[in-house]
Amino acid sequence: MKLRWNKTVAIASIGALAMTAVPLVAGNATSGAAAKPTYVIGVQGPFTGADADYGDYDYAGVEFAVSQANATGKLPFTLQVEKFDDQGSSTVAPGAAQKAVGTKNLVAIVGPAFSGASQVSYQYYHAANIAEVSPSATAVALATGTNSSFLRTVADDSVQGLADAQYLVKTKGIKNLTVIGDESFYGAGLAKAVATDAKTLGATVTTKSIANINEGGGGNAGAYSTLATSLAQSAPKGIFYGGYAPEFGLLIGDLASDGYTTAKHVLMSGDGSNDPALLTSTSPKKAANGAFLSESATGKVSYFTGAMATAFTKLTGVKASVAIYAAQSYDAADAIIRALGAAAPSSTIATLRSETVTGLHAVSFTGVTGPIAFQTDGNLKIDKGSVQISEVKKGKIVLITSVG
Amino acid sequence: MGFAHFWLSGFDQIRTGFWAYFAVGLENGSLYAMIAVGYTLVYGVLGLINFAHGEVFMCGGFAAVFLTHGILGDRVANGWESVFLILAGIAIAGSVSALVATGVEQVAYRPLRRRNAPKLAYLISAIGASYFLQTLAGKEFGYGQNIFPAQVFPAGQTMFFIGKTPIHTIQVVCLVVGTAMFVAADRIVRSTRLGRGIRAVAQDSETSALMGVNIDRTITLTFIIGGSLAGAAGFLYALQNGIVQSSGTELGIYAFTAAVLGGIGNLRGAALGGLLIGLFGSFSVPFAFEGNISWTEIYTFIILVLVLIVRPTGILGEKSGRTA
Repeated sequence: MKLRWNKTVAIASIGALAMTAVPLVAGNATSGAAAKPTYVIGVQGPFTGADADYGDYDYAGVEFAVSQANATGKLPFTLQVEKFDDQGSSTVAPGAAQKAVGTKNLVAIVGPAFSGASQVSYQYYHAANIAEVSPSATAVALATGTNSSFLRTVADDSVQGLADAQYLVKTKGIKNLTVIGDESFYGAGLAKAVATDAKTLGATVTTKSIANINEGGGGNAGAYSTLATSLAQSAPKGIFYGGYAPEFGLLIGDLASDGYTTAKHVLMSGDGSNDPALLTSTSPKKAANGAFLSESATGKVSYFTGAMATAFTKLTGVKASVAIYAAQSYDAADAIIRALGAAAPSSTIATLRSETVTGLHAVSFTGVTGPIAFQTDGNLKIDKGSVQISEVKKGKIVLITSVG
Repeated sequence: MGFAHFWLSGFDQIRTGFWAYFAVGLENGSLYAMIAVGYTLVYGVLGLINFAHGEVFMCGGFAAVFLTHGILGDRVANGWESVFLILAGIAIAGSVSALVATGVEQVAYRPLRRRNAPKLAYLISAIGASYFLQTLAGKEFGYGQNIFPAQVFPAGQTMFFIGKTPIHTIQVVCLVVGTAMFVAADRIVRSTRLGRGIRAVAQDSETSALMGVNIDRTITLTFIIGGSLAGAAGFLYALQNGIVQSSGTELGIYAFTAAVLGGIGNLRGAALGGLLIGLFGSFSVPFAFEGNISWTEIYTFIILVLVLIVRPTGILGEKSGRTA
């Protein structure tokens, strides 16, 4: 009994000491942290599923920018990066956006990565005055209005569509072109742009559309098989597919089965298919060899190079030369950090979000990919851009030229 | 003029590519038919639509991926090895799907049946099982990640020509396997003791129980037969199209439609409905307005509605209570 009482006293004493000590320690930490609040930059994109590479590369770009900014020690705040997975799907994206809006201390978003996801997420971010700076959502219709809370560090599909049409019609000499859209917000828009520009350039264009499977389109693989049979019958000299890698890979495989191969024809798609997932989505894999893929950019540089590439890979473990849109994500994060730095230090999070939107419209700097300054509709001021064309060679996506 | 040109152009495409459209239509139709058999058998014995049946099909597809990669790796099979792998794939994928179908029956339906639950409870339970399997596959294998099995024969391999049209190995395999498995299922239901049990349960489960039919065993075996066909279809489908967690939903809708078109509860109706939908989907591609392939689905469902208006019980007639 005596012993037990002693134990109780001992435990109570230690507890009391601990309770006294904790506030002292916490107080010290708090007093240090209070001077430097922590803000979150969200990254919305696909982090799971067939298009997860895009999200991972975007995140790596933002992580790199934030790491460098924190390391300077000059910022009056500390930055963190948080992922919001929308699977690249317009049906999943609203949930991801709502989660981001509800995240404490979140000041802005890099993303969404995909146009369809951007379209459906916009209302949530706009209502909360949260800036979205997308490194890769290229659908023309996304950038509208004034003081837009949607901005992007990439040229839109009017640039990519024209460049793709020029490459097909002028460079490859295709006069008989079939353009297929995947009925997604992005794919249909890009296909329309390519079809219009190819017609203007003198090609005979047949348009088709087929619902995508993985981006909420409700399509089915059997329809791709029958479409391929139909295309092999009509045998156009070239086919452009506006859509994403999993379906483009499926179509390439089905076309190859029907004897329509890249050896005799030209197959091309846009940045939605410019993803290593294309190689795993094509059966047989070798059927993808010879397919052309484009990627929109604002300047001549769209990947990290030199010392930055080395530092990027060292920090993130991602190979710089394959990390599509990572450099654009870096520039998007850089723009947000600059806008945040210009905001009033005493702002509440709600005010800070709003001031970041305004601040983004005032930034002007030379980013990794080129000059970064935004128009009131959210597009870059210098948005003529260039388009990188890649080709699948021996199972790898290899950059071959730049158009525009 | 434009409208007439559109139709004439469509017919011209059919004329020049008839055998190509016919072959791909039969290929898809065979798969729809194999899945539709499961829908119709379960409807026969339980009087409900097993909405998890599409996911049973999907499991067969994933089984094919692991089996073929496990044996072949990145190698491409040829000759007798191809024949062996096709047979092994059908057996393994069919077994996996039969196991999953049995699990669905044991977990999602049997407890409800024992409690005489209303049909609505079965429906919700079926949808729950469907979502469970689909989400599990998505988490395990990646959402939207279309995975292809190893090549049990060279992709796009041509077996023979009709005129100048190449007929591919996969198309022949789908038709042959589909036909063989359907005939086997039809014989089982029509000519065996088990089949008599299935038909008896379908007609009147209480009376058949009094006559000595083991209801639980009969229902389980019905799920096994349907699951086997769906699994084999999953294997063949994956060879051509790859497999993804949503594949079951996509194909399931078509197969269910096929079962209704042929006459739900009618085994031969399911096969006929599957083939017709496959062929119709293929031949309607040249008539897709503005090149929009979604029109083929609109045409298909218009035909379904028209058939049901004329024959509300499907082409061969519903045989609820008299399966097969």
